[in-house]
Amino acid sequence: MKLGSRQILFFLAAVAPVGKLILLPPQLAAASGNDLLYPVFPQILVQTALVFCVLLLSRRERTVYDLLKDGIGSTGAKIGMILISVFLLYAAFMPLIEQKLLVQSIFYDTIPSYIVFTPFFLLSVYLCSRPLAYTGRIWDILAPLFLFGMAGILLFSVGEADYGALLPFGAQGWSGFTDGTMRACAWFFDAVLLLPFVGRFGYKKGLAWKGALCYLGGGALLLVFLATFYGVFSDIAIIQVFAFAKMSHFFAGLTVLGRIDYLFIFALAFVMVFYAALPLHGAVQMIHDAFHAGKSFSALLSTGINLMMLTIIYMFNFDADSIVSAISGTLFWIMPAIGAAVIMLLLAFCGRSRREV
Amino acid sequence: MKFKRFLAALPGRVCLILVAAIVFIFFSNDFGLVDIQKTAIVLAVGIDRTEEEFTLTAQIAVPKGSDRTTGGTSSVEIEGRGETVPDCISDIYAKTGWVPKLVFCNLVLLGESTTADDVFSCLDFFLRNEYIPNSCQLAACEGSAGELLSSQSAIDDTSALALSKLFSDAAKKSGCVMTTTLRQFSTGYYGVSGSGYMPYVRAQTQENSQGTETASGNSGSAQSSPGDGPTEQKIYSAEETAIFSAGKLAAILPKEQTFAFSLLEENVYTGTFSADGITYVVLKNNGSVELDVSDSPTATLSLDLRVQLYGSRDASMPGEIARSILTPEQEAKASRIIEDYLGGLWETCIRSGCDLLELKTKLYRSSMTDYSQWKDSILTSAAVRIAADVKSVS
Repeated sequence: MKLGSRQILFFLAAVAPVGKLILLPPQLAAASGNDLLYPVFPQILVQTALVFCVLLLSRRERTVYDLLKDGIGSTGAKIGMILISVFLLYAAFMPLIEQKLLVQSIFYDTIPSYIVFTPFFLLSVYLCSRPLAYTGRIWDILAPLFLFGMAGILLFSVGEADYGALLPFGAQGWSGFTDGTMRACAWFFDAVLLLPFVGRFGYKKGLAWKGALCYLGGGALLLVFLATFYGVFSDIAIIQVFAFAKMSHFFAGLTVLGRIDYLFIFALAFVMVFYAALPLHGAVQMIHDAFHAGKSFSALLSTGINLMMLTIIYMFNFDADSIVSAISGTLFWIMPAIGAAVIMLLLAFCGRSRREV
Repeated sequence: MKFKRFLAALPGRVCLILVAAIVFIFFSNDFGLVDIQKTAIVLAVGIDRTEEEFTLTAQIAVPKGSDRTTGGTSSVEIEGRGETVPDCISDIYAKTGWVPKLVFCNLVLLGESTTADDVFSCLDFFLRNEYIPNSCQLAACEGSAGELLSSQSAIDDTSALALSKLFSDAAKKSGCVMTTTLRQFSTGYYGVSGSGYMPYVRAQTQENSQGTETASGNSGSAQSSPGDGPTEQKIYSAEETAIFSAGKLAAILPKEQTFAFSLLEENVYTGTFSADGITYVVLKNNGSVELDVSDSPTATLSLDLRVQLYGSRDASMPGEIARSILTPEQEAKASRIIEDYLGGLWETCIRSGCDLLELKTKLYRSSMTDYSQWKDSILTSAAVRIAADVKSVS
């Protein structure tokens, strides 16, 4: 079973941006103040280029493992797949911590934090044990949900936003830009998330361009969201950690309509759950591909990896800030450097068949 | 054959349904159901302070039963004391065993003693706390906030609900009240201008008020006991606006200046004002504050209003009533009145050193060079040009 190319485009345009709505906006506001949009531009452009490369890589319709095996042999391919899985698990940290904080702070304020996030891993174990191709169907549902949620939240927030707060341009200077760009790296790894899908969807002519354009479209929506976020909160944006769940509170019509903005918030929160589980799913699939094991191996692997992540998340239960600071601070280079290196190396050495070379 | 296939698929389907049910319950917060018997739903808080401590009065909603004759929301007021606002909350918990839940707190009322100092010494708790909506209304009041919240309103069983009527969207459109939320006030406080405003509430005793006995179960106060006798009923007004600079109360705008400020903020629709025994209703409100620093700083306060005759002290002929349009003299007179209001507003801001009209913010957004040059002296050195154009609807 293969994914449709439409489903890949749905992911790029309307699922990938959802991972940047929780902690990224206040982090950007802290680093770049009213210039928070500029550090996001280079991130979107780099990811668009990498998405283009990954989609080019999928022209041969062979999985990453097959491509690696062709290039560096079976043992090297296995090692390569394990390394990519480890990288995906590292990438999973940020969305998982964001989900944990969101669930603790927005949905459950009266339950001890140790148990409140555990049910997420039940769903994750199930998702990760399923073949990756099934994810396409989920994206068919998630993409419209994301658009519904995002449109509603923006619609309710635009009236309260003072876009003049984004002025003057460049007020934070070069240091604001570099600091913001550095911090934003931790949230931009969408091209790597596509690697497990390589060879699992039919490549149609022009898909690489279409994918890049869809990612740009999603990026543009993210920029609109960030501008509105800063317009609504301006100088207190730095403390608005769960912005997407708060921005729409100020819509005057809610006093008459009731809290219908929860529909949009829940829609986005629902999409976020699947986005947070995706790196784990990708990691499981990569190892599964490398060792060609059966269905039960997938289930065991999924359980093991999720238990490991659950343990790590709860080991650092009260150190979420430190983890976020480390990933977006001192370790910021890991995402762009390793992510880009993996994709470029794959494209350079395994992107063409030997006959093509 | 079909049955065997069904049985084979059954565990997967059951698993899927279970996961779906868990996800649904998880995200609808059913795991976190709150025990209402142990939770105090706080409708409003009033904060007063002395040199040493804060006093927080929480108005807590109390279920009134399903009896139709006593329907509605009743409340009790509980007072907590402490060095900080969260200490006061803990004090209430310690005294009552109720966990104060501030998710539904829609009003923070600041007493006179609180506004005399930087109000963010108590408001920062509400910003820090994820469970208090940033959309909650702020208001300052004459005297003690705790006493005002504990007073009995003549129009509602619960004073917080009576006050919330004053801060409704309709009241805001009338131009009689300038409402603000925690978010708006905070962005002003932490912004370049460091200014903000909130409605200033006064309570007046209702003339000929019979009062109701607290024992009747209406507004029960923790300080009063059943059978205390009739209590005075109060009427609240919020036509004045408290303006703040660096978090401290700088001045109180009278109702005319509050109306002018509402007009500048383009809030008014169907709000009214009077001149020489004639009342006008505003049907279109365009307002702006512009700053020009090309030669020397000049602020321009402009209003473009479309109004209609709304009422007159003298009897009018049916033809005049049907037209309800203004004569040129009336237009000029109305313009002058509004300009006077705007002039008064400008004077109050300059005298109190409050950058209510956000001149510094405008300067900052337009040019960093000009901002560096004028940021400290803009309020004292800026000249003002006031232009109110009041036209009759045709």
